[in-house]
Amino acid sequence: MRKVLALLLVFVLAMGMLAGCSTGSDTATTAATTAAAGGETAETYRVAYIARAQADSFAAWLANAVMEEADKYENITVDVFDGQASDDIENGLIENAITNKYDAIIVQPNNGEAQRPYVEKSVAAGIVTITTNARISGIEGASSVDADPYLQAKVNADAAVEQIPQNAKVVVLLGPPGNFHADSRRESWQKEFFDKRPDVEIVGEEIANWNKDEAMNYMETWVQANDQIDAIIAMNDNMAAGALEVIKDNAKFNNILAYGVDGTAEACLLIKDGKLTSTSLQSAYALAEGLLDTSNKLLTGQETQIDIDIDCPLITLDNVDEYIEMHKKAGAIQ
Amino acid sequence: MNHDVKLRVQNIEKSFPGVKALDKIEFSVRKGTVHVLCGENGAGKSTLMKIINGIYQPDAGQIIIDGVEVHIKNPIQARQLGISMIFQELNYIPEMTLEESLFVGNWPLDKAKKIDWKEIRKRTLALLEKENLKYKPDTKLKDLTVSDIQMLEILKAISYNSEIIIMDEPTSAITNKEVEILFKKIFELKARGTAIIYISHKMDEIFRIADDITVFRDGKVIDSKPRESLDIETVIALMVGRKLGKDFPKIDVPIGEPVLSVKSLSGEKFKDITFDVKKGEIVGFAGLMGAGRTEVMRAIFGLDAIHSGDVLKNNHVVQIKSVKDSIGHKVVMLSEDRRRFGILPIRSVRENISITNLKKFIHKGKLHAKDEYEAVKYYCDKMNVKTPTYETNISSLSGGNQQKVMLAKWLITDPDVFIVDEPTRGIDVGAKHEIYKLISDLVTEGKSVIIVSSELPELIGMCDRIYVMAKGEIMGVLGKEDFTQENIMRLATGTTSNI
Amino acid sequence: MKNFLQKLKKSNLMGTFSIYFVLLALFLVSMLANENFATIGNLSNISRQIAVGTILAFGQTILIINGMLDLSSGSVLALAGVLSVDAYVKTGSLIMAFAVGIIVAVACNILNGLMVTKFKTPPFIATLAMMAMARGAALLYTNGQNIYQIGDYVIFGQGSLLGIPNPVWFLVAAMAVTWYLLKHTVFGRSVYAIGGNEEASNASGINVDRVKMKAYIINGIFVGIAGIIFMSRVNGGLPNGANGYEFKALTAAVIGGTSFSGGVGTASGTLAGAFIVGFLDNIMVLVGVNSYLQQIVRGAIIALAVIYDIYFKTTRKKNKAAKG
Repeated sequence: MRKVLALLLVFVLAMGMLAGCSTGSDTATTAATTAAAGGETAETYRVAYIARAQADSFAAWLANAVMEEADKYENITVDVFDGQASDDIENGLIENAITNKYDAIIVQPNNGEAQRPYVEKSVAAGIVTITTNARISGIEGASSVDADPYLQAKVNADAAVEQIPQNAKVVVLLGPPGNFHADSRRESWQKEFFDKRPDVEIVGEEIANWNKDEAMNYMETWVQANDQIDAIIAMNDNMAAGALEVIKDNAKFNNILAYGVDGTAEACLLIKDGKLTSTSLQSAYALAEGLLDTSNKLLTGQETQIDIDIDCPLITLDNVDEYIEMHKKAGAIQ
Repeated sequence: MNHDVKLRVQNIEKSFPGVKALDKIEFSVRKGTVHVLCGENGAGKSTLMKIINGIYQPDAGQIIIDGVEVHIKNPIQARQLGISMIFQELNYIPEMTLEESLFVGNWPLDKAKKIDWKEIRKRTLALLEKENLKYKPDTKLKDLTVSDIQMLEILKAISYNSEIIIMDEPTSAITNKEVEILFKKIFELKARGTAIIYISHKMDEIFRIADDITVFRDGKVIDSKPRESLDIETVIALMVGRKLGKDFPKIDVPIGEPVLSVKSLSGEKFKDITFDVKKGEIVGFAGLMGAGRTEVMRAIFGLDAIHSGDVLKNNHVVQIKSVKDSIGHKVVMLSEDRRRFGILPIRSVRENISITNLKKFIHKGKLHAKDEYEAVKYYCDKMNVKTPTYETNISSLSGGNQQKVMLAKWLITDPDVFIVDEPTRGIDVGAKHEIYKLISDLVTEGKSVIIVSSELPELIGMCDRIYVMAKGEIMGVLGKEDFTQENIMRLATGTTSNI
Repeated sequence: MKNFLQKLKKSNLMGTFSIYFVLLALFLVSMLANENFATIGNLSNISRQIAVGTILAFGQTILIINGMLDLSSGSVLALAGVLSVDAYVKTGSLIMAFAVGIIVAVACNILNGLMVTKFKTPPFIATLAMMAMARGAALLYTNGQNIYQIGDYVIFGQGSLLGIPNPVWFLVAAMAVTWYLLKHTVFGRSVYAIGGNEEASNASGINVDRVKMKAYIINGIFVGIAGIIFMSRVNGGLPNGANGYEFKALTAAVIGGTSFSGGVGTASGTLAGAFIVGFLDNIMVLVGVNSYLQQIVRGAIIALAVIYDIYFKTTRKKNKAAKG
């Protein structure tokens, strides 16, 4: 009897904790429009935006951009939820959003395949469902707005094929293995650059997990081991910036080429300074614009399924000013 | 009854790096008898018992059970051979129930390989009934007393059908009444033919229960004889290898004004306690376990809260809210529980001694190593602490030496009043004598001592006055002329009649 | 071979200094494996790279010896770091920025200390809670975005004095402070005592709660300094930075012989532990070991170093205890 009671108690506690977690996650950030929307008629649509992780700087930028963009739509209010970089939490958030009868759910997956069944549930519940950054493809009835990671890397790789000298030695900084964007960008560099330039030698390739500090540590070591490094190929701007931080005062590497992806404010400033060669913009604003536009069209019944890719323009010294201007407007830099 | 030899060890040798722990040990235990092993700590008794229990392997020699040589590789095998050991320091899990603890590591399983709780309950009840013990199977161990748990260990040994039971100082932490219960059980076991190896320092109990006595010294068997051919004086002489002086080396000194006075002190487990201690005086506190003696002293020492009443030092009321305050007023206390409240394990002898008075060695914010070393050396010499170096880990010293280190750590604070709670519990005769000598020396230096002890001969031999407590109150105070065990026990049991 | 091992075990030398032998062996092997390893430049790099984690590790060492720990150090580092960076961006004063970093980290650790001493929360839980709160606060304050253009703030992490990088100076200072505190002060002696036996320490007149609080405050100072160096090194205020650094710090301390059961550990052991990890990470990148394999090797070496250390220490203890 005692054992049964103990088991029962454990069960009740576990349930309590789950409930605690989910209510915790429900305390979402609501877009500024909510207040205004409160007094309005039934024409207001409720949209749940489920972010991968608010601790991921791009994901946070995108969430902020979505909220700003939502201000432009009188008929839409957006609630932002934080998936905390966990499949479990994110899946739970999707389920909650379905239960709460949101009119539309936008999912920025932590790991596409893990969220796929939950996104399918949302579609099955008759809710307008959109996946973004990265899209979960092949779900009947779900829409998507994305930037193509292959293409993002390709625009840089295409430039690099011309720019990187013969028999160059390069170092490569990778994102977390298993991450869709990290893997696609690397694959793109392989096909669009390394396969076309067999003369180029990789003298170092390490996983820096999108992180600036980890990239710095690797670059410091590579600089010790190699007298000649002609180019830094990084799967995102953070890592490229980290590597450049190491050699910024080192005359030996004055002419080094460096490539990133994302078009962060820091990267734009580095291009302006002539440190970074190029990056491609994955614009959170463009994604947000696409997401709200798509939501609006689907909710008002103008269309039933939309799959779009935003542009991924290459940023170089020639056009960097316009992007710096963009970041200044957003308040990221002065 | 058949008193054939049950267990025999021959030529057992065991060395540890730099030490010959056991040298050609021979002795045997007969069925249905109690064989007492005595000897100072470090004489090799425990090492031998650990060999018999399979914890250590001997370097040479044989162990023979029922005439057959056996090799005991671990305690599980020892148990299978019918050997159980009841350790001096009982290790138990407070949250475990009585029945769980009986079957720990040996759980009966049902067909589905689950633990069969019904079977455990059934067997427990049967065992308790058979041994005529009134415990409930679902009592938690934390709700039992030390002697209950000891009884439980014996019960466990019985449940394994052990034919050889080793008891390592089983009476070091239990009351006289409980000792009687234990001895009753031992006589029952003897009657059943169990061979018992009993390790003890206490001469009176050794001579009550022993059939044979073996004395160890420095890793050798000094003598092994039937009880009838030995007496207490001889055994003590054999153990220490030298003649001890007087049992209690108390020197009478002139007694002065009250140094510490306690007026109407009440706390959680005691009330209305009033007593005083004068300069040069040794005051005893007698009573049964749970009489509240330790609790009173802990409150005076700042470890427990005082609800009401006053503590006066040199006739001035002092506020003692923490041990630090108490040390400041030069009142210190040696705890009865050395392991819990005393030693800092894994730290050196030096650190264990200086911890109470580090401020003394600070010069410009830095600990002055040389000063510290000299103070430690001074008190270690004074206490006759036997340690290879002052950097030696305290855990590797014998119990008696650890206790001397504990005394040294309080002496270094230069106290006026030294409260010692069970100062000689679990230590050997030689070290006991040294501690008595020290207490006597302290009062000749004009300090005062309070001894809390359950050993009446010790109180009678050392004290100038004895307060007797029962159920949290002082029942009376005896002057030297009234010191008898009977007078003390009468007061100690004054409000009850269970002895 | 067996004889040799036993002889080694008997000599105290190996027991006391085992972890330093591991470090020395690793150094020699690395030197042979790659000619760039034992260069001034590379060794200076390693020192710089391990500085942040090791400064945290000194705080952890004090806490672990005392029978506690700090799971929040990575998060508090980030919070203190971004607030410090922000203070610099807003005021332009390096002194102000430095002060803000330290004050924030100390404040968080005072909260840790209060939870542990006044409310008797187990340190594991208290600092786990702080880990979440501090990270959340850092992200909330910055809206999840990195702070850029931090100007001269980089001097803390990227500048150098007398040819030695500033982070290394901070590392040396933290090491010296930790060593001095543990070895030569009443506080240090109390830390060891409480970790060994809290009740006995209390009964010896040590104010246990005050010592624990002090330990967290000192930890806070180290975390604050680490935060300033970290942000300065990466030339930005990264609210998401130093994720998992608390485990880096714990690893260095534990490899260095600090025992989770309390009462054991030294500053120099922790430094050795940190260098073992630092050398290992460095040589594997220099030699170009596969990234996935690196993780396996890193785990294996940590396990081996600790097993080796325990092997020599425990057998020695047993031998001694048996004499008694």
